[in-house]
Amino acid sequence: MGFSSGTKAVLTTLKEAVDNSLDACEDAEILPEIQIEIEKISTGSQKNMDQIRVKVVDNGPGLSAEDVPHVYGEYLASSKFGRGRCSRGQQGIGISAATTWAQITNAHGARVITKTAKMKQAFKCEIEVDIKKNVGVIKEKSNINWDREHGVSCEFIFDGRLQLNGDAGILTYLQGTSLVNPHLKLIYKINDDEPVTLERVSDELIQIPEPVAPHPHTMKLGEFLAHGTLFGKATLATFLKTGFSRVNEATFADLSKLGLKKAWLKEPVSSLSQTEMKAVFAAIQEAKLMAPSTRSVLSIGEDALSKSIRRLGEVDFFSVLSRKPTICDAKPVAVEVAIARLKNSKNEFDDPVEVLRFANRVPLQFDKGACAILKSIESINWKSYGLNQPKRSIPTGPYVIAVSVVSPFIKFKNASKETIDASDELVAELRLALMQAGQRLARFVNKEKREFDLEKKRSHIEQFGPILIEGIGRITGAPRTRLDKASDGLLKILGRDEAAAEDALAHATTKQKEMVKKLDQYDEEEFDRSEEDSEEGA
Amino acid sequence: MAEKTVEKKKRLTSGSDITNLAKQTCLNMLSDLEKARRPVLEATKCSLDNSFYNPKVGYLTPGDKKVRSELNVSSVQKMSRSVFFMEILLRNIEVGAVNTKRELYYMAKGMCKKDALYKPLDFEDQAESDEIVDFIGEMLEVYREDLNCYANDRGGQTYSQHLVVEETMPNGEKATIDLSALGTSPFQPKNRPQNLKLKAKKKIEFCMVVESEGTANTLVANGFTKRYNNIVIGSGGVPSNAVRSWCKLIQKELDVPMFFFGDLDAYTIQNIYRTLKAGSAASLIRNSDYSAPDIHFLGVLPEDIKKYDLNDYPVKEKDPGEARSLKKAADALKNDPFFADKKNKKLADILRWLVKEKRRCEQQAYFSVDPRDPTMIEKILVEKIRKGNYV
Repeated sequence: MGFSSGTKAVLTTLKEAVDNSLDACEDAEILPEIQIEIEKISTGSQKNMDQIRVKVVDNGPGLSAEDVPHVYGEYLASSKFGRGRCSRGQQGIGISAATTWAQITNAHGARVITKTAKMKQAFKCEIEVDIKKNVGVIKEKSNINWDREHGVSCEFIFDGRLQLNGDAGILTYLQGTSLVNPHLKLIYKINDDEPVTLERVSDELIQIPEPVAPHPHTMKLGEFLAHGTLFGKATLATFLKTGFSRVNEATFADLSKLGLKKAWLKEPVSSLSQTEMKAVFAAIQEAKLMAPSTRSVLSIGEDALSKSIRRLGEVDFFSVLSRKPTICDAKPVAVEVAIARLKNSKNEFDDPVEVLRFANRVPLQFDKGACAILKSIESINWKSYGLNQPKRSIPTGPYVIAVSVVSPFIKFKNASKETIDASDELVAELRLALMQAGQRLARFVNKEKREFDLEKKRSHIEQFGPILIEGIGRITGAPRTRLDKASDGLLKILGRDEAAAEDALAHATTKQKEMVKKLDQYDEEEFDRSEEDSEEGA
Repeated sequence: MAEKTVEKKKRLTSGSDITNLAKQTCLNMLSDLEKARRPVLEATKCSLDNSFYNPKVGYLTPGDKKVRSELNVSSVQKMSRSVFFMEILLRNIEVGAVNTKRELYYMAKGMCKKDALYKPLDFEDQAESDEIVDFIGEMLEVYREDLNCYANDRGGQTYSQHLVVEETMPNGEKATIDLSALGTSPFQPKNRPQNLKLKAKKKIEFCMVVESEGTANTLVANGFTKRYNNIVIGSGGVPSNAVRSWCKLIQKELDVPMFFFGDLDAYTIQNIYRTLKAGSAASLIRNSDYSAPDIHFLGVLPEDIKKYDLNDYPVKEKDPGEARSLKKAADALKNDPFFADKKNKKLADILRWLVKEKRRCEQQAYFSVDPRDPTMIEKILVEKIRKGNYV
């Protein structure tokens, strides 16, 4: 599904490789530095396709030679299912699908170089997928000297189409990835263009929250049954207590009231029939449970977002907002919003703003129509925050609105996982975040509007005053003395308006300063807190 | 709110009256400015929410609502533009020159281009200059024609064997036009009916205003005006000021029964016929001279569809224009004082029927009754008039 078009093929290959690199660095607590090369080599093997080369090199811990065929040549080799973590793995198909696509369209799989700190030399090979057996096959392996301590380089040559800008563009992806990964240093080179380096704006490693056991109310029946098979001979009571969060002895009392046979709790899970397990599932869905913990939710944070947003381009002003994790549809969710006005945006005044959507820090670039994020943006009256907005549409102008949804259990609308389901609770949470970010942004827009008003009023007095007086003079034939007196009167009247406009500007400036101060205070508090944490740690 | 009609108030018509009022307005502004007081320009609000309908008067009249423009930094541009245009219009009145709104727009642009002082007044498009011309008319409560600003004389092609028009020319000379002497050419009425006098060589039985100019022409070509002592006018869609004032003049001077023959659809009833009979909200201060309240709606009537087995068809709701017409008609039934008045209940009932049934029937559908008889439509129309089959 990630390869249904040439554009998608390039983007999916790149996404999978970058996700792997970021995940590997985060797991090994390494600040990620990723180099990307993308180029059109020649025409592709299929009609209307080009041959594209994508190469991604990271400074992660590296893979052992044994792991290479598993990672690049097997499907679902390291499934993240049920881990209860805010993991990437957006496409759910893995890098092996990219290997397969390269193999199908170019007769060569993935070209991999890897080196761990323990390895003297790097291991270089080409991996192909044996689709029938679902195993990776190593070809043309060798050991080489590599100029880095550890890391992985993977290269794919395949049929695709290179789209740089727009919703499905490579640059949009890179921009988005850099925004939600402030700790990432990204170097990319596209075709014959000069390499671009986006320096990291934060030296802090992302703190990945510990996974928590899944909450029963976040599970579907199939997932529940599959989860049960992992517990085999353990009793149903043990399975429910240890396999899930928020389930305890009190829950069992509830379950029996809901008609669950008490005896089943002492039976091994493997001895219960599917019908009985279905009954258990139905009962637990009815039981009253505490909402899931929000500890498992990862936030980027306002401080990091404030720094990261400047990597989108030269920013006039911006506003960021990080909501505290909350529960939506029985699932923990954290919503973060960044809005910036760009100085050199390609957007004209009446072009729709650029919307960047993220799910678990992965940019979503397709099927935006029904996405909860877009629906929430459209439902807000942006005019009250100083932005232009056609009816029932997204606002317009040289702005970027970036919205990140992070949750261990994001519900997508379709299998391609590009559209977040627009449930009422999630849309309400998104709206709150967007409105708060909008209010912060309005301080800047209002001040600018007041400045513009004052300037306009000043120029109006200078421009129209004489025309009005002279016109009245010609129609009435009034003498010059009366016109001069009227001119003085006009200046007094309009001067009063100018003074009022100056007051309005002063008020807007004060409001804006108050907001900046509040943000600074927030930064200081964050800093103090991190200082305290590090002292405690010491 | 107290109702007020423009007929009760003495209307300014002569050029000197208008010049004096404009000068007085400017003198008031000057006096306010000398005292450092904010001058206010006030005009009648020409919109449906300020429209009243009194069946005895017969047309829409304005209420007390005003559009006020008080001088401040935001309105100084509009006020300067108003004074600037007033000067142009007064000069036209003084020398007897006339212009269309489009011409006035280019004249204003020309002045702004040639004189650096006026540059800030420059008009982006004609809508901007039209707004100022309309505002001046509404402020002085005069017609645009009184300000020598004429619209294109669209529609109103008139045929009759018995009508004679006498026109007083700007130099005072009289011109007499006998419509029967024009051959197959129609008479085209002017926007300013005050200069026209009408005479009938024989008693005229009725006047028929036909929505489609083509159908009006067909009726005349087939001998309608020869067989009957009548006047036939092609309105050409929504009646222009010329058509409206022409119908008013015929009604006032000849006192003949007047009928409107047009399509059976929401647009015709709500836009074309209502405007002809009672004027429009946009021309509240002019409706006394631009409406013919005694006109009747001859058809197509809903019952005619069955009676004459006419071809009707559903409104295309997907067509934005037709959907808009239906919505406007539904709004008119709620908000338009003309349709709210019990005197016009039958018309409102037809409009309600059209909104509900979402069907329409064109006036040309009468041609389906007997395609071999070219005079069949004429027979039907005369039969309807004789039997009182109209609204």
